[in-house]
Amino acid sequence: MIKFIFDLDGTITKQETLPLIAENFGVQHEISQLTQETVQGNIPFIESFIRRVHLLGELSVSSISNLLIKVPLYDRVLEFIRMHLDDCVIATGNLDCWSEQLTRIVGCTSYFSHARVEMDKVVKLETILRKEQIVRMYKEQGYKVVFIGDGNNDLEAMRLADVAIATGLTHFPSKSILPVSDYLIFNEITLCRLLNQLY
Amino acid sequence: MSFTKSVVLSCAGIGSRLGLGQTKALININGKTLIRLQLELLKDVEDLRIVVGYQAHDIVEEVLKYRTDVVFVYNHNYFETKTGTSYYLGAKDANDYVIEWDGDLLVHPDSIKRILTQEGEFICYADRTSEEAVFVRTDEMGNVLSFSRASGSYEWTGPACLKRSRVHYTSENVYNQLEPYLPIRGLKIEAYDIDTYEDYKNVIRRIQEWKI
Repeated sequence: MIKFIFDLDGTITKQETLPLIAENFGVQHEISQLTQETVQGNIPFIESFIRRVHLLGELSVSSISNLLIKVPLYDRVLEFIRMHLDDCVIATGNLDCWSEQLTRIVGCTSYFSHARVEMDKVVKLETILRKEQIVRMYKEQGYKVVFIGDGNNDLEAMRLADVAIATGLTHFPSKSILPVSDYLIFNEITLCRLLNQLY
Repeated sequence: MSFTKSVVLSCAGIGSRLGLGQTKALININGKTLIRLQLELLKDVEDLRIVVGYQAHDIVEEVLKYRTDVVFVYNHNYFETKTGTSYYLGAKDANDYVIEWDGDLLVHPDSIKRILTQEGEFICYADRTSEEAVFVRTDEMGNVLSFSRASGSYEWTGPACLKRSRVHYTSENVYNQLEPYLPIRGLKIEAYDIDTYEDYKNVIRRIQEWKI
Protein backbone atom coordinates (compact mmCIF):
# COMPACT_ATOMS: atom_id res chain seq x y z
CA MET A 1 0.00 0.00 0.00
CA ILE A 2 1.45 3.32 -1.07
CA LYS A 3 0.23 6.88 -0.71
CA PHE A 4 1.65 9.79 -2.67
CA ILE A 5 1.06 13.07 -0.86
CA PHE A 6 1.52 16.15 -3.04
CA ASP A 7 2.04 19.72 -2.01
CA LEU A 8 -0.13 21.92 -4.25
CA ASP A 9 1.60 25.25 -4.89
CA GLY A 10 4.51 24.97 -7.27
CA THR A 11 4.33 21.17 -7.25
CA ILE A 12 1.02 20.64 -9.07
CA THR A 13 0.40 24.28 -10.00
CA LYS A 14 2.90 26.10 -12.16
CA GLN A 15 2.53 29.20 -10.02
CA GLU A 16 2.42 29.88 -6.31
CA THR A 17 -1.19 30.78 -5.60
CA LEU A 18 -0.94 33.24 -2.70
CA PRO A 19 1.25 35.71 -4.65
CA LEU A 20 -1.11 35.30 -7.59
CA ILE A 21 -4.11 36.22 -5.45
CA ALA A 22 -2.21 39.18 -4.05
CA GLU A 23 -1.21 40.38 -7.50
CA ASN A 24 -4.75 40.14 -8.83
CA PHE A 25 -6.22 42.09 -5.95
CA GLY A 26 -3.50 44.71 -5.64
CA VAL A 27 -1.94 43.67 -2.32
CA GLN A 28 1.22 42.16 -3.73
CA HIS A 29 3.52 44.55 -1.87
CA GLU A 30 2.39 43.49 1.61
CA ILE A 31 2.24 39.81 0.66
CA SER A 32 5.62 39.71 -1.05
CA GLN A 33 7.24 41.40 1.96
CA LEU A 34 5.74 38.77 4.24
CA THR A 35 6.73 35.96 1.89
CA GLN A 36 10.29 37.21 1.73
CA GLU A 37 10.55 37.48 5.50
CA THR A 38 9.15 33.96 5.82
CA VAL A 39 11.53 32.49 3.26
CA GLN A 40 14.44 34.13 5.07
CA GLY A 41 13.24 32.55 8.31
CA ASN A 42 12.53 35.86 10.07
CA ILE A 43 8.86 35.05 10.53
CA PRO A 44 7.71 31.51 11.33
CA PHE A 45 5.50 29.95 8.70
CA ILE A 46 2.38 29.71 10.85
CA GLU A 47 2.54 33.38 11.86
CA SER A 48 3.16 34.39 8.28
CA PHE A 49 0.24 32.31 7.07
CA ILE A 50 -2.13 33.85 9.63
CA ARG A 51 -1.04 37.34 8.60
CA ARG A 52 -1.37 36.55 4.91
CA VAL A 53 -4.86 35.14 5.41
CA HIS A 54 -5.77 38.25 7.37
CA LEU A 55 -4.58 40.42 4.47
CA LEU A 56 -6.42 38.37 1.86
CA GLY A 57 -9.48 37.50 3.95
CA GLU A 58 -11.24 40.73 3.06
CA LEU A 59 -11.30 39.73 -0.58
CA SER A 60 -14.19 37.92 -2.20
CA VAL A 61 -13.80 34.19 -1.61
CA SER A 62 -15.62 33.24 -4.79
CA SER A 63 -13.46 35.58 -6.88
CA ILE A 64 -10.30 34.01 -5.44
CA SER A 65 -11.64 30.52 -6.01
CA ASN A 66 -12.54 31.39 -9.60
CA LEU A 67 -9.09 32.87 -10.13
CA LEU A 68 -7.33 29.76 -8.86
CA ILE A 69 -9.11 27.35 -11.17
CA LYS A 70 -7.39 29.14 -14.04
CA VAL A 71 -3.89 28.50 -12.67
CA PRO A 72 -1.91 26.35 -15.11
CA LEU A 73 -1.04 22.88 -13.82
CA TYR A 74 1.83 20.51 -14.58
CA ASP A 75 0.22 18.22 -17.18
CA ARG A 76 2.35 15.13 -16.47
CA VAL A 77 1.88 15.38 -12.73
CA LEU A 78 -1.86 15.81 -13.27
CA GLU A 79 -1.90 12.78 -15.56
CA PHE A 80 -0.05 10.68 -12.96
CA ILE A 81 -2.50 11.67 -10.21
CA ARG A 82 -5.53 11.02 -12.39
CA MET A 83 -4.22 7.58 -13.31
CA HIS A 84 -3.72 6.73 -9.62
CA LEU A 85 -6.53 8.65 -7.93
CA ASP A 86 -6.85 6.25 -5.01
CA ASP A 87 -3.14 6.40 -4.23
CA CYS A 88 -2.68 10.18 -4.43
CA VAL A 89 -3.74 13.00 -2.12
CA ILE A 90 -3.02 16.71 -1.96
CA ALA A 91 -1.95 18.41 1.28
CA THR A 92 -2.03 22.19 1.04
CA GLY A 93 -1.88 24.84 3.71
CA ASN A 94 -4.15 27.00 1.59
CA LEU A 95 -7.72 27.60 2.69
CA ASP A 96 -10.38 25.16 1.58
CA CYS A 97 -12.65 28.01 0.46
CA TRP A 98 -10.00 29.24 -1.96
CA SER A 99 -8.49 26.02 -3.25
CA GLU A 100 -11.16 23.33 -3.12
CA GLN A 101 -12.52 24.14 -6.58
CA LEU A 102 -9.01 23.87 -7.99
CA THR A 103 -8.27 20.53 -6.36
CA ARG A 104 -11.59 19.19 -7.64
CA ILE A 105 -10.16 19.66 -11.12
CA VAL A 106 -7.24 17.45 -10.10
CA GLY A 107 -9.68 14.88 -8.74
CA CYS A 108 -8.00 13.29 -5.72
CA THR A 109 -8.70 13.60 -1.99
CA SER A 110 -7.33 16.89 -0.64
CA TYR A 111 -6.54 18.33 2.76
CA PHE A 112 -6.58 22.08 3.48
CA SER A 113 -6.52 24.68 6.19
CA HIS A 114 -10.05 25.64 7.08
CA ALA A 115 -11.75 28.99 7.47
CA ARG A 116 -15.25 30.09 8.26
CA VAL A 117 -16.79 32.09 5.47
CA GLU A 118 -19.66 34.52 5.77
CA MET A 119 -20.99 36.81 3.08
CA ASP A 120 -18.25 35.65 0.71
CA LYS A 121 -15.48 36.75 3.09
CA VAL A 122 -13.15 34.86 5.39
CA VAL A 123 -14.28 35.75 8.89
CA LYS A 124 -12.21 33.29 10.92
CA LEU A 125 -9.23 31.06 10.32
CA GLU A 126 -10.22 27.87 12.14
CA THR A 127 -7.54 25.27 11.45
CA ILE A 128 -4.13 25.36 9.83
CA LEU A 129 -3.17 22.16 8.12
CA ARG A 130 -0.13 20.45 9.55
CA LYS A 131 0.96 18.26 6.71
CA GLU A 132 2.90 15.96 9.00
CA GLN A 133 -0.41 14.89 10.55
CA ILE A 134 -1.58 13.64 7.17
CA VAL A 135 1.67 11.70 6.75
CA ARG A 136 1.30 10.24 10.25
CA MET A 137 -2.31 9.25 9.63
CA TYR A 138 -1.47 7.29 6.49
CA LYS A 139 1.59 5.70 8.07
CA GLU A 140 -0.53 4.52 10.98
CA GLN A 141 -2.89 2.95 8.46
CA GLY A 142 0.07 0.99 7.11
CA TYR A 143 0.83 2.96 3.98
CA LYS A 144 4.29 3.58 2.62
CA VAL A 145 4.15 7.38 2.33
CA VAL A 146 5.87 9.35 -0.41
CA PHE A 147 5.78 13.12 0.06
CA ILE A 148 6.42 15.49 -2.83
CA GLY A 149 6.98 19.11 -1.91
CA ASP A 150 9.10 22.22 -2.28
CA GLY A 151 8.47 24.55 0.64
CA ASN A 152 9.45 25.15 4.21
CA ASN A 153 5.95 24.17 5.35
CA ASP A 154 6.58 20.68 3.90
CA LEU A 155 9.61 20.13 6.12
CA GLU A 156 8.09 18.13 8.98
CA ALA A 157 5.94 16.08 6.62
CA MET A 158 9.00 15.22 4.55
CA ARG A 159 11.01 14.32 7.62
CA LEU A 160 8.32 11.86 8.60
CA ALA A 161 7.57 10.40 5.16
CA ASP A 162 9.11 7.11 4.04
CA VAL A 163 10.31 8.77 0.86
CA ALA A 164 10.76 12.54 0.57
CA ILE A 165 11.04 14.09 -2.88
CA ALA A 166 12.04 17.73 -3.06
CA THR A 167 10.91 19.36 -6.27
CA GLY A 168 12.20 22.40 -8.06
CA LEU A 169 9.65 22.51 -10.85
CA THR A 170 8.61 26.13 -10.29
CA HIS A 171 11.46 27.50 -8.19
CA PHE A 172 14.46 26.07 -6.36
CA PRO A 173 13.05 24.24 -3.33
CA SER A 174 13.41 25.70 0.13
CA LYS A 175 16.89 24.83 1.37
CA SER A 176 15.48 23.77 4.73
CA ILE A 177 13.89 20.65 3.23
CA LEU A 178 17.00 19.34 1.49
CA PRO A 179 18.60 17.73 4.56
CA VAL A 180 15.49 15.54 4.99
CA SER A 181 15.01 14.76 1.30
CA ASP A 182 15.85 11.49 -0.39
CA TYR A 183 15.53 12.91 -3.89
CA LEU A 184 15.72 16.26 -5.63
CA ILE A 185 14.00 16.67 -9.01
CA PHE A 186 13.69 19.59 -11.41
CA ASN A 187 11.72 18.11 -14.28
CA GLU A 188 8.14 16.81 -14.28
CA ILE A 189 8.85 13.92 -16.65
CA THR A 190 11.66 12.78 -14.34
CA LEU A 191 9.37 13.22 -11.34
CA CYS A 192 6.68 11.03 -12.89
CA ARG A 193 9.26 8.40 -13.87
CA LEU A 194 10.45 8.27 -10.27
CA LEU A 195 6.88 8.08 -8.96
CA ASN A 196 6.22 5.12 -11.26
CA GLN A 197 9.46 3.46 -10.11
CA LEU A 198 8.31 3.84 -6.51
CA TYR A 199 5.25 1.66 -7.11
CA MET B 1 19.21 5.12 -27.84
CA SER B 2 16.54 3.47 -25.76
CA PHE B 3 18.16 2.30 -22.55
CA THR B 4 16.22 0.78 -19.71
CA LYS B 5 18.92 0.37 -17.10
CA SER B 6 19.41 3.05 -14.49
CA VAL B 7 22.86 4.54 -14.01
CA VAL B 8 23.90 5.67 -10.53
CA LEU B 9 26.70 8.21 -10.69
CA SER B 10 28.28 8.51 -7.24
CA CYS B 11 29.44 12.06 -6.51
CA ALA B 12 28.88 12.28 -2.77
CA GLY B 13 32.42 11.97 -1.44
CA ILE B 14 34.83 14.65 -0.29
CA GLY B 15 37.73 13.59 -2.51
CA SER B 16 40.24 13.97 0.30
CA ARG B 17 43.05 11.98 -1.36
CA LEU B 18 43.12 14.27 -4.37
CA GLY B 19 43.68 17.34 -2.24
CA LEU B 20 42.34 19.97 -4.63
CA GLY B 21 40.07 21.36 -1.94
CA GLN B 22 36.73 20.58 -3.49
CA THR B 23 34.53 17.69 -4.42
CA LYS B 24 35.92 15.80 -7.39
CA ALA B 25 32.82 16.41 -9.49
CA LEU B 26 33.82 20.07 -9.75
CA ILE B 27 37.51 19.72 -10.58
CA ASN B 28 38.60 21.16 -13.88
CA ILE B 29 39.55 18.75 -16.67
CA ASN B 30 40.75 20.60 -19.74
CA GLY B 31 38.35 23.49 -19.20
CA LYS B 32 35.31 21.50 -18.14
CA THR B 33 34.18 20.30 -14.75
CA LEU B 34 34.37 16.55 -14.26
CA ILE B 35 30.61 16.33 -13.78
CA ARG B 36 30.03 18.18 -17.06
CA LEU B 37 32.28 15.67 -18.82
CA GLN B 38 30.32 12.81 -17.25
CA LEU B 39 27.03 14.33 -18.41
CA GLU B 40 28.37 14.56 -21.95
CA LEU B 41 29.62 10.98 -21.86
CA LEU B 42 26.35 9.68 -20.36
CA LYS B 43 24.00 11.78 -22.47
CA ASP B 44 22.14 8.69 -23.78
CA VAL B 45 21.21 7.46 -20.33
CA GLU B 46 17.56 8.25 -19.63
CA ASP B 47 17.43 7.36 -15.94
CA LEU B 48 20.58 9.05 -14.70
CA ARG B 49 20.75 9.26 -10.90
CA ILE B 50 23.43 11.45 -9.40
CA VAL B 51 24.19 10.74 -5.76
CA VAL B 52 25.24 13.90 -3.94
CA GLY B 53 26.49 14.64 -0.45
CA TYR B 54 29.52 16.88 0.07
CA GLN B 55 29.01 20.23 -1.74
CA ALA B 56 25.69 18.92 -2.99
CA HIS B 57 24.32 22.34 -3.82
CA ASP B 58 27.33 23.27 -5.97
CA ILE B 59 27.06 20.01 -7.92
CA VAL B 60 23.31 20.47 -8.41
CA GLU B 61 23.84 23.98 -9.78
CA GLU B 62 26.57 22.79 -12.14
CA VAL B 63 24.47 19.88 -13.45
CA LEU B 64 21.42 22.08 -14.01
CA LYS B 65 23.45 24.19 -16.46
CA TYR B 66 23.55 21.19 -18.81
CA ARG B 67 20.72 18.86 -17.91
CA THR B 68 17.60 19.15 -15.76
CA ASP B 69 16.13 15.67 -16.16
CA VAL B 70 18.41 13.80 -13.77
CA VAL B 71 17.37 12.43 -10.40
CA PHE B 72 19.52 13.77 -7.57
CA VAL B 73 19.78 11.25 -4.76
CA TYR B 74 21.01 12.37 -1.34
CA ASN B 75 23.58 10.45 0.64
CA HIS B 76 23.43 12.55 3.80
CA ASN B 77 25.89 10.23 5.57
CA TYR B 78 28.61 10.69 2.99
CA PHE B 79 31.27 11.31 5.62
CA GLU B 80 30.74 7.97 7.36
CA THR B 81 29.96 5.83 4.33
CA LYS B 82 31.59 4.71 1.09
CA THR B 83 30.45 4.26 -2.48
CA GLY B 84 28.53 1.08 -1.64
CA THR B 85 26.03 3.21 0.27
CA SER B 86 25.62 5.61 -2.63
CA TYR B 87 25.03 2.69 -4.99
CA TYR B 88 22.38 1.29 -2.66
CA LEU B 89 20.63 4.65 -2.26
CA GLY B 90 20.70 5.33 -5.97
CA ALA B 91 19.49 1.84 -6.83
CA LYS B 92 16.74 1.23 -4.34
CA ASP B 93 13.90 2.79 -6.35
CA ALA B 94 15.49 2.52 -9.78
CA ASN B 95 14.87 0.31 -12.83
CA ASP B 96 15.33 -3.47 -12.69
CA TYR B 97 19.03 -3.33 -13.51
CA VAL B 98 21.26 -0.64 -12.08
CA ILE B 99 24.76 0.31 -13.17
CA GLU B 100 27.00 1.85 -10.54
CA TRP B 101 29.40 4.45 -11.88
CA ASP B 102 31.93 6.28 -9.76
CA GLY B 103 31.81 10.00 -10.39
CA ASP B 104 35.61 10.08 -10.49
CA LEU B 105 35.95 7.38 -13.11
CA LEU B 106 36.42 8.47 -16.71
CA VAL B 107 35.50 5.76 -19.18
CA HIS B 108 36.49 5.87 -22.84
CA PRO B 109 33.48 6.63 -25.11
CA ASP B 110 33.90 3.32 -26.98
CA SER B 111 33.82 1.42 -23.70
CA ILE B 112 30.74 3.39 -22.62
CA LYS B 113 28.90 2.21 -25.74
CA ARG B 114 29.73 -1.41 -24.86
CA ILE B 115 28.72 -0.96 -21.23
CA LEU B 116 25.39 0.63 -22.08
CA THR B 117 24.44 -2.16 -24.48
CA GLN B 118 25.34 -5.07 -22.16
CA GLU B 119 22.55 -7.31 -20.99
CA GLY B 120 22.25 -8.54 -17.42
CA GLU B 121 24.80 -8.29 -14.64
CA PHE B 122 28.47 -7.58 -15.21
CA ILE B 123 31.63 -6.12 -13.70
CA CYS B 124 34.06 -3.89 -15.58
CA TYR B 125 37.80 -3.86 -15.11
CA ALA B 126 40.77 -2.28 -16.83
CA ASP B 127 44.49 -2.76 -17.31
CA ARG B 128 46.47 -2.10 -14.16
CA THR B 129 47.63 1.49 -13.92
CA SER B 130 47.88 1.97 -10.18
CA GLU B 131 49.75 0.17 -7.41
CA GLU B 132 47.25 0.98 -4.70
CA ALA B 133 44.22 -0.35 -6.47
CA VAL B 134 41.85 -3.23 -5.81
CA PHE B 135 42.56 -5.96 -8.32
CA VAL B 136 40.35 -8.59 -9.92
CA ARG B 137 41.18 -12.20 -10.67
CA THR B 138 39.43 -13.59 -13.72
CA ASP B 139 39.05 -16.98 -15.38
CA GLU B 140 39.94 -17.64 -19.03
CA MET B 141 36.50 -16.40 -20.13
CA GLY B 142 37.03 -13.09 -18.38
CA ASN B 143 34.54 -13.78 -15.60
CA VAL B 144 35.42 -12.07 -12.33
CA LEU B 145 36.30 -14.66 -9.67
CA SER B 146 37.55 -12.49 -6.81
CA PHE B 147 38.74 -9.07 -5.67
CA SER B 148 42.08 -8.62 -3.94
CA ARG B 149 44.14 -5.81 -2.44
CA ALA B 150 47.30 -7.82 -3.08
CA SER B 151 47.27 -9.12 -6.63
CA GLY B 152 45.18 -9.84 -9.71
CA SER B 153 45.27 -9.72 -13.48
CA TYR B 154 43.36 -6.46 -13.83
CA GLU B 155 42.38 -3.38 -11.85
CA TRP B 156 38.84 -3.07 -10.53
CA THR B 157 37.50 0.22 -11.80
CA GLY B 158 33.75 -0.26 -12.15
CA PRO B 159 31.23 0.31 -13.53
CA ALA B 160 29.31 -2.75 -12.42
CA CYS B 161 25.72 -3.75 -12.97
CA LEU B 162 23.48 -5.74 -10.65
CA LYS B 163 19.82 -6.56 -10.57
CA ARG B 164 18.23 -3.94 -8.33
CA SER B 165 16.90 -6.54 -5.89
CA ARG B 166 20.47 -7.74 -5.26
CA VAL B 167 21.86 -4.32 -4.30
CA HIS B 168 21.81 -4.35 -0.51
CA TYR B 169 22.83 -1.71 2.00
CA THR B 170 26.47 -1.50 2.98
CA SER B 171 28.57 1.29 4.46
CA GLU B 172 31.53 -0.17 2.60
CA ASN B 173 32.69 -0.23 -1.02
CA VAL B 174 30.87 -1.34 -4.13
CA TYR B 175 33.14 -4.33 -4.56
CA ASN B 176 32.06 -5.56 -1.11
CA GLN B 177 28.51 -5.55 -2.45
CA LEU B 178 29.54 -7.60 -5.48
CA GLU B 179 31.62 -10.23 -3.66
CA PRO B 180 28.75 -12.48 -2.49
CA TYR B 181 27.57 -12.86 -6.09
CA LEU B 182 30.88 -13.85 -7.71
CA PRO B 183 31.61 -15.14 -10.24
CA ILE B 184 30.04 -12.45 -12.41
CA ARG B 185 30.61 -11.86 -16.11
CA GLY B 186 33.52 -9.48 -16.70
CA LEU B 187 33.97 -6.72 -19.24
CA LYS B 188 37.36 -5.25 -19.97
CA ILE B 189 37.22 -1.52 -20.62
CA GLU B 190 39.45 1.52 -20.92
CA ALA B 191 38.92 3.69 -17.88
CA TYR B 192 40.87 5.86 -15.47
CA ASP B 193 39.92 6.87 -11.99
CA ILE B 194 41.04 10.03 -10.30
CA ASP B 195 42.10 9.30 -6.76
CA THR B 196 45.42 11.10 -6.49
CA TYR B 197 47.06 14.14 -8.05
CA GLU B 198 49.09 11.79 -10.28
CA ASP B 199 45.85 10.22 -11.52
CA TYR B 200 44.49 13.69 -12.22
CA LYS B 201 47.48 14.66 -14.35
CA ASN B 202 47.31 11.31 -16.13
CA VAL B 203 43.61 11.74 -16.98
CA ILE B 204 44.12 15.24 -18.34
CA ARG B 205 46.74 13.84 -20.71
CA ARG B 206 44.73 10.77 -21.72
CA ILE B 207 41.41 12.32 -22.53
CA GLN B 208 42.83 14.88 -24.92
CA GLU B 209 42.73 12.08 -27.50
CA TRP B 210 39.10 11.16 -26.78
CA LYS B 211 36.28 12.37 -28.98
CA ILE B 212 33.73 13.73 -26.54
